Amino acid sequence: MSLFFLHPAYLYGLAAASLPLLIHLLNRRRLKRIRFPAVRFILLSQRRISRTYRLRHWILLALRTFAVLLLVLLLANPIFQIGAGLFAGSGSLSLAVIIDNSLSMKWSRQEEGFKQVREAARLLISSFNDGDRAALIPTDATEKKEIRLKGEKSALLKELDAIQISDGTADFSVALKKAYQALRGPAAQKEIWLFTDMALTGWERFSLAAVGQYDSLIPVKIISVAGHDSPSNATIKELKIQGQGVGVGLPLRLEASLINFTDREIKDLLVQLHVDEQKKEQRLVALPPKGESVVNFQFSVNQPGSHQGSVSIKKDGLAGNPVAYFTLRAQEKLKVLVVDGDPQTSLVQSESFFLTRALNPSGETDSSVFLPTVIIPEGLASASLESYQVVVLCNVPAIPDPFLPRLKDFLQRGGGLLIFLGDRVQTDDYNLKLFQSSPSILPGQIRDKKSLSEAAAEKIGKVNTAHAALQAFSDPLLREALLSARVRGYIRSESADLSPLIALGNGDPLLSEKRMGSGRVLLVSTAADRDWSDLPLKTSYLPLVQSLVSYLAGGKRGTFDAGIVVGDVRAFSYPPSYVGKSLRIVKPDRKEKEIPLVPNRDQASASFEENDLAGIYRIVSAANSGEPAGPSEIYPVNSPFLESRLATIDGRELQAKLNPLRTEIIPIESLSDGGKRTDLSLPLLVLLIVTLVSEGWLAQRF
Amino acid sequence: MTNGEKSYFDPLVLARLSNLYLKARWVVEGIMSGIHRSRSKGFSVEFEEHREYSPGDEIRRIDWKALGKFDRYFIKETEDETNLRAYLILDSSASMDYSSNGVTKFDYGCILTASLAYLILQQQDAAGLVTFSNRVESFIPPRAKRSYLMEILHALEGRRPSGETNVGKILEEIAGKIKRRGLVILISDLLDEPEEILKGLQLFRFKGNDVIVFHLLDAAELELPFDGNILFEDIEESSLRVTADPQAIRKVYRTVVQEFVEHLRKECREHAIDYQLLSTSTPLDHALVSYLGWRG
Repeated sequence: MSLFFLHPAYLYGLAAASLPLLIHLLNRRRLKRIRFPAVRFILLSQRRISRTYRLRHWILLALRTFAVLLLVLLLANPIFQIGAGLFAGSGSLSLAVIIDNSLSMKWSRQEEGFKQVREAARLLISSFNDGDRAALIPTDATEKKEIRLKGEKSALLKELDAIQISDGTADFSVALKKAYQALRGPAAQKEIWLFTDMALTGWERFSLAAVGQYDSLIPVKIISVAGHDSPSNATIKELKIQGQGVGVGLPLRLEASLINFTDREIKDLLVQLHVDEQKKEQRLVALPPKGESVVNFQFSVNQPGSHQGSVSIKKDGLAGNPVAYFTLRAQEKLKVLVVDGDPQTSLVQSESFFLTRALNPSGETDSSVFLPTVIIPEGLASASLESYQVVVLCNVPAIPDPFLPRLKDFLQRGGGLLIFLGDRVQTDDYNLKLFQSSPSILPGQIRDKKSLSEAAAEKIGKVNTAHAALQAFSDPLLREALLSARVRGYIRSESADLSPLIALGNGDPLLSEKRMGSGRVLLVSTAADRDWSDLPLKTSYLPLVQSLVSYLAGGKRGTFDAGIVVGDVRAFSYPPSYVGKSLRIVKPDRKEKEIPLVPNRDQASASFEENDLAGIYRIVSAANSGEPAGPSEIYPVNSPFLESRLATIDGRELQAKLNPLRTEIIPIESLSDGGKRTDLSLPLLVLLIVTLVSEGWLAQRF
Repeated sequence: MTNGEKSYFDPLVLARLSNLYLKARWVVEGIMSGIHRSRSKGFSVEFEEHREYSPGDEIRRIDWKALGKFDRYFIKETEDETNLRAYLILDSSASMDYSSNGVTKFDYGCILTASLAYLILQQQDAAGLVTFSNRVESFIPPRAKRSYLMEILHALEGRRPSGETNVGKILEEIAGKIKRRGLVILISDLLDEPEEILKGLQLFRFKGNDVIVFHLLDAAELELPFDGNILFEDIEESSLRVTADPQAIRKVYRTVVQEFVEHLRKECREHAIDYQLLSTSTPLDHALVSYLGWRG
């Protein structure tokens, strides 16, 4: 049941209703002044009629005001509607039809809601007369198509069929903005019809201010398909991976947070993990009412490179997005050659014990991305460095001559060298072979050994957390743990050009760096074991060692990507040599898009906006060069988990949000009822005549 | 006064009045206890003037004292004695200075007064004039001499309406000044307390006077023909003001005025006072004729 006007512009004339009152007030101000002898009779008359006169006066004023109102309403041509039938009256119609195609529509009315919306919109378009025009506006924010009014029914129906449920959230602000823009032209009647499931998520983010310019006289009919009677409403809220790095054969623990939106427990919810399209694991879980549960999966990948996976939930009658995608980029294990310069029969007393435990805490082969191999210095002569990414020297007394050229070659090719000093180190040998020889390997010349008592042990004074190798220590707890270490013995060294990455309290370097060729060298001036410091006993030792080794090997080992949300932009960055090339992106529906790489500071960058489908996106090649645009990359895009929340906004709350727009919420069933419209012009005209006659009669009575 | 005289004695008015001359005289003299005009000249106690003796004059009318003084024969003319001594009492308060049609109530009252004086003097009766506002402005005792009309007209001419009305009090005062019975003709808008007015009029009646009241009102006072919101300010009492919509109160106003008039009419009738309401829109001759007709 509603009331709308065929010529709403006349409603501005309602302001004229104040004219009788204004005239009355003006008349009171513009008094004619007459000198009169019989004022006493006037006073007497007024006293007699005062009450009646005032009553009549106000009735007369009310009648006049009412007559003006009636006249304005008559001009605006009001139509009273029962139900939600189509249009009455004459003149051309301009209609903006907004269709909520957000993901929540998928589960509206047992998955019938969107179908009902389409049918209603089809009926609406089919009922158009000649001269009527409409614009179809999906609420999908990624929809960039130009919106304009069209009169051809066939084109509109075709356009309607093309509107599909998206994987994202509705942006009603943008949709309404487009609607008002489309309705800017002149038309006898203008209306906006908005089909929606009233899902809370979409309307929560709505802001009328974001609509920009709007015409509050255009009626907005909100056709509701609200009513999600599904007993189960749950989805996957978040995917996280525990541990550090993703490596081949490395056990990965995936944590999936599931959320139940209903106030009933959901039992026997099947949760499955797929990796590379193969089912890896499944669980049956129960979700508490309005609560969350975490499901842990453990798996590993056998091949380095990119992997895709998904976690899905299944249950009969379940409403809510059932799948969340993720991608992995697995690295080979990082092979580290550890040279123990002070091996002991007891492993614990060996120089490399703490170091190897830091690299592989469990001691098992598949438990760490680091794969340390321990040898004694004598083995250096025959050791092949080809298969290692990092070499760690722990208190090695001297550098064997045959090893030196291979070490330099290793570093030139990008290898990493981590040197821990110790009491067995022959400083002259180190200086001769690693510093004075060309090119030098050490960051600086090493000097004398310093041994301090327990009480005089040096603290760590400064940590350069801005350095890539030490970024982990920007965490206050880790940094605190590192700063709590005490160093009793070390070999002073001179860093010629760079300030040390870690300095002792007295300013002597504890950690310094030197680049050589494509490789890097890190020098730790104390020992790797407990002989010279309590560093190996600190919680900061493990992250320190792993960070340093990772840094020397070229960065983080492997990645886990839980993806971006539908509608978000994905940015890409490549070396500057890729400027001018293009990225070809294959969307989940296998449609390909090409985006150019443009210079951005000292890099080539691109951004992809059409992430409108949930799934795995693949960057395959640079189309214009035929060469790979960089490392083959995939990334996941997921629906916002709140879009699965089927709670609806209250009608009054929605109307308050849309205030001052003239809104009316109509259940979609009313459309199928057809409705009935009555032109109120004639009753208004009769009422106006009666009012004017009454006014005239009453005025005569004065 | 020439112009005023002309207007007072409009030939048309007088022409119509002259047709009623005898009737008017009859009515007035009839009211005055059937007393007719004086039987003869010379026996009045009221000396009027001297004139030189001419043959044929009665010897007894020669003023012998004048003969001794001037050595010439003078005849002592005396005023005709009559029982009708008319006091024309004209209200000259500020409220009389109101007009909605070009003729103020005062103008109208002057014409009426002059006409009546003329009528009375034409009948050889005595006519006097009293004008008043909140006090007696002028008091001209009645005389039966025809030339006395000029004096009355001069008095009228020299008077402009001003001051507040206090009819009741003034009537009491005038009643105290009138020593001999006569006819009292009050011409006023009577915009005062009706009981005070009636009390004053009754005093005349107690003293044996006959009283005729010409109640003068402007047509606007009777009809309140104005439109729009109007601030009415009293002519006499400027502090008395009221804003009203005449259209809204017209009907009640007319009733109020009608009730006022009817009250006066009724009270006058009960005390044998002749009362006639005259509107300034009523032609003067018509007013006189209708009055004399009513006197029947």
